[in-house]
Amino acid sequence: MSSPSIDLKKAVLDALMAGLLALVVFGPIVGVVLQGYAFQMEAGRVAWMVGVFMVGRLLLSVFLQTARGQRLLDSFEQTSGGVGVLPPGHKSRIKWVILTLIVLACIFPFFANKYLLTVVIFGLIYVLLGLGLNIVVGLAGLLDLGFVGFYAIGAYGLALGYEYLGLGFWTVLPLAAVTAALAGAILGFPVLRMHGDYLAIVTLGFGEIIRLVLNNWLSFTGGPNGMSAPAPTFFGLEFARRAKDGGTPYHEFFGVSYDADMKFLFIYAVLFVVVLLVLYIKHRLSRMPVGRAWEALREDEIACRAMGLNHVLVKLSAFMLGASTAGLAGVFFATYSGFVNPASFTFFESALILAIVVLGGMGSTVGVVIAAFVLTVTPELLRSFADYRVLLFGVLMVVMMIWKPRGLIRINRIGIAPRKGVAP
Amino acid sequence: MDAIFWQQMVNGLTLGAVYGLIAIGYTMVYGIIGMINFAHGEVYMVSAYLAAIAIALLGFFGIHSFPLVILGTLIFTIVVTGVYGFAIERIAYKPLRNSTRLAPLISAIGMSLILQNYVQLSQGARQQGIPTLLEGSLRLHIGDDFVQLTYTKVFILVAAVLGMLALTFIIQKTRLGRMCRATQQDRKMAQILGINTDRVISYVFIIGAAMAGLAGVLITLNYGTFDFYAGFIIGIKAFTAAVLGGIGSLPGAMLGGLILGIAEAQFSGMVNTDYKDVFSFSLLVLILIFRPQGLLGRPQVTKV
Amino acid sequence: MPHNGFRKAVMAMAITYAAGLTTLAQADVIIGVAGPMTGGNAAFGEQFWRGAEQAAADINAAGGIDGEKITLIKADDACEPKQAVAVANRLVDSDNVVAVVGHFCSSSTIPASEVYDEAGIISITPGSTNPQVTERGLTGEFRMCGRDDQQGTIAGDYIVDTLKATKVAVIHDKDTYGQGLADATRAQLNKRGVKEVMYEGLTRGEKDFNALVTKIRASGADVVYFGGLHPEAGPLVRQMREQGVTAKFVSGDGIVTDELVGTAGGPQFVDGVLMTFGADPRLIPDGKAVIEKFRANGYEPEGYTLYSYASVQAIAAAFNGAGSTDGAEASQWLKSHPVQTVMGTKSFDEKGDLKVSDYVMYQWGADGKYKQL
Repeated sequence: MSSPSIDLKKAVLDALMAGLLALVVFGPIVGVVLQGYAFQMEAGRVAWMVGVFMVGRLLLSVFLQTARGQRLLDSFEQTSGGVGVLPPGHKSRIKWVILTLIVLACIFPFFANKYLLTVVIFGLIYVLLGLGLNIVVGLAGLLDLGFVGFYAIGAYGLALGYEYLGLGFWTVLPLAAVTAALAGAILGFPVLRMHGDYLAIVTLGFGEIIRLVLNNWLSFTGGPNGMSAPAPTFFGLEFARRAKDGGTPYHEFFGVSYDADMKFLFIYAVLFVVVLLVLYIKHRLSRMPVGRAWEALREDEIACRAMGLNHVLVKLSAFMLGASTAGLAGVFFATYSGFVNPASFTFFESALILAIVVLGGMGSTVGVVIAAFVLTVTPELLRSFADYRVLLFGVLMVVMMIWKPRGLIRINRIGIAPRKGVAP
Repeated sequence: MDAIFWQQMVNGLTLGAVYGLIAIGYTMVYGIIGMINFAHGEVYMVSAYLAAIAIALLGFFGIHSFPLVILGTLIFTIVVTGVYGFAIERIAYKPLRNSTRLAPLISAIGMSLILQNYVQLSQGARQQGIPTLLEGSLRLHIGDDFVQLTYTKVFILVAAVLGMLALTFIIQKTRLGRMCRATQQDRKMAQILGINTDRVISYVFIIGAAMAGLAGVLITLNYGTFDFYAGFIIGIKAFTAAVLGGIGSLPGAMLGGLILGIAEAQFSGMVNTDYKDVFSFSLLVLILIFRPQGLLGRPQVTKV
Repeated sequence: MPHNGFRKAVMAMAITYAAGLTTLAQADVIIGVAGPMTGGNAAFGEQFWRGAEQAAADINAAGGIDGEKITLIKADDACEPKQAVAVANRLVDSDNVVAVVGHFCSSSTIPASEVYDEAGIISITPGSTNPQVTERGLTGEFRMCGRDDQQGTIAGDYIVDTLKATKVAVIHDKDTYGQGLADATRAQLNKRGVKEVMYEGLTRGEKDFNALVTKIRASGADVVYFGGLHPEAGPLVRQMREQGVTAKFVSGDGIVTDELVGTAGGPQFVDGVLMTFGADPRLIPDGKAVIEKFRANGYEPEGYTLYSYASVQAIAAAFNGAGSTDGAEASQWLKSHPVQTVMGTKSFDEKGDLKVSDYVMYQWGADGKYKQL
């Protein structure tokens, strides 16, 4: 292969076009900042952005004409299968990674302060959400944009159950999972027969309906002001300085001094166990017939139906499982923040969870766990970039779709070597 | 009772005309490449800012007469919004033409987050507004009650109808329109016949964005205030309108817009204002479940 | 060698630790200023910040608190309860504030103050008027403004006595503040024998109130009372006028900012709008010098600017008086001593409310400015 010559003229033209486009696009919005009915010129910002775009485009044009650029272009993932196959007999080292992570997670609380602990709890909640949506989007290939609705059902389940029925954390935890799954079934049953894009919009509508009802039903949910949610109890002992429901605070029972961090430590421990449990269940499920059916349906629905797979039931099972996981996450969110209101369940939240799944690799568990931590913990650590967080999410989603539409970490499966004389 | 009904009819009609304009963008893009352009609502939001910027700039140069200001604002906003449509298609959708089914949709969501945050960062998170350009209103007496509509609303109705007529003309009578229709019918065949379908898709995005730009100017005139978050809700509403009329059908989008606008206004006038968005979204869910092809659309056939 | 390395590590740790201690010892008095710095109500956040900034600068120039400088930390809650709790936790846990000026929206102040109370620090809100703010038995929660039950009484009496209204439509934004204020006014109206013809909520962030306005017109109300903030008040009053509703528009302290004119689409729409607010602090002689300073910087200290200034003064006085930054001691001192502020002498009662409230009526004019009646 001869190295291609570089057409500089084309590159310069590209750059000029990009500059012109950038000028028209950024000129008004970036350059003229509205101030009441007047405005303020910010020509410097525009010049800067247009310059960056021109130089960037020039470099890109030149780079893509080199051999290395060509290779990069070729390496962009095409619509090949969603699963990579490893050679037979491949021994995965993932077991040791998981073991190390569990050990790390166990000793982590001894070194963390409260702030770090809350950040990690937050990250774990999103791991749970990401795992749930990963079943729906990643494995079954159903785009669910109203995932936050099930999250809200879990969170408000705790707050409402406490307020009206006097239910505690431990009662609501399984109840919320069941309720969310039922809601998923009711929504999913009529909808899942439809074309994929329609499903996205119906679920989006559903998520918004839940939020709007929570926001408007003042007498029942407290409207935009939200309601308080109880902290978990440890065999009936409360984690508060002063007992609220006639119970005993833990520090009085054990005769130790009060420590506000204990509540978060306890939530962390329970949450960690639940995450492990969900991980395990998901791991087993994806190796069972139903898990294989999800993935087969994602790759080719028509073929599956021709083979006699009941596509509605298979999709429904994925939808319900995902919903129940979100319900669990909602309960943890409510008990962790001690307070829920509808603003926590906007479409942005759904988009964030989707970003986790997309970044992590659709269907890949490890990828989702890593992505959840990256997307929730990084903004906390880089607080000065907080303003740019949403912008970065957006760029990430677009770039990932262009570059690796199936996520950073592909699902790999160990191949099977047919043995002679034995039916595979 | 009568006056409430007619007043809400007027309110719903103006709202519906604007929904229709935005719905055109959804329906044309869906018709031609079969994807939901999620960022379309944000394009409308950008156009509201562009309109305010144009008005501020024109005011700065001493142009205050209504016809001149509105003409300048419309041209500026529609052109720049069209460029936005073009740029968005180039960056976020074109590279994904042959990708997985979910990819363009997720990329579109990313794009809408980008646009929202970009406007927030460059213009600030506060509410923005424009001065009232057109004062005064019409009053129609019904019995001893009356229905009042501002000249702004009259202008919106007229401008929306003109915009839709112009679009119908382009699609039905011009070469570009024929190319669009051919591409919508069968992209591969159109390509074989020598139509540059990539360019046609670009045109469709530009036209859709331009219509959203027109809607942006009109809504901004009507309410006077807007913020960077305004695109989301109105985007879903317009999408509902497109689905209601039958996605892919141009007259359907306009009809769907008007029906949705009026239904919403009458619901909030007679039943409850709080739940009008819930009403619209429920309508969307119900239509998709029971009549996914909408009022004027053709039923979808799954091709193997 | 390994032994050596270990010793180095211990040395390094000791040095870092010592450095950490010294920075702690030299630490300034860190005060958080929390409010809506972004979003529709950013105008109030700006008032808070400007006021606190000027107060901190003036106090620092005069020697600070016990010789220590005040450092302010800006915290944004966007008038959003969820964000308020997050920001409160951050102020307490990672910024180590010893006092907070804020928040603005009552719905943010109420959950956030629980966090401050748990951490045992003192917080003064310059503008949250909902009664619940100080009714929950928190030790360190104060407010520099009046309460909505007082505000509602003034507004209700004014509507009955001066406007002589018999048909009043009461609208609120479902928020703790907005609905609380609307309920307080409604209670006073009912007490005076006026039954409201309409009582409805609207949604914050919404722009289209045409349907609501149509209903208001059908109810035949001659006064519309709105409990809420200016991003909704502006479009509401504009759409009323556009649909030919001539009823008087009365609201509370949630609209005291020039941005009302912008959200309404021009001064012609706010002309005649009435509102309740504390007696204009700019007319109190004590604050003359401070107001001059603001104006010299090209900033008009409107709305809650001086309330925020006074809140910082009260915190400084409490720390000076109690001789420590301990929340419990400072709050004990504040409840038993009057404080000299830019708005005159203020003293707090056992709950943390001001002993004297001074709500009066204001009216907006065709020039887009408001004046005390």
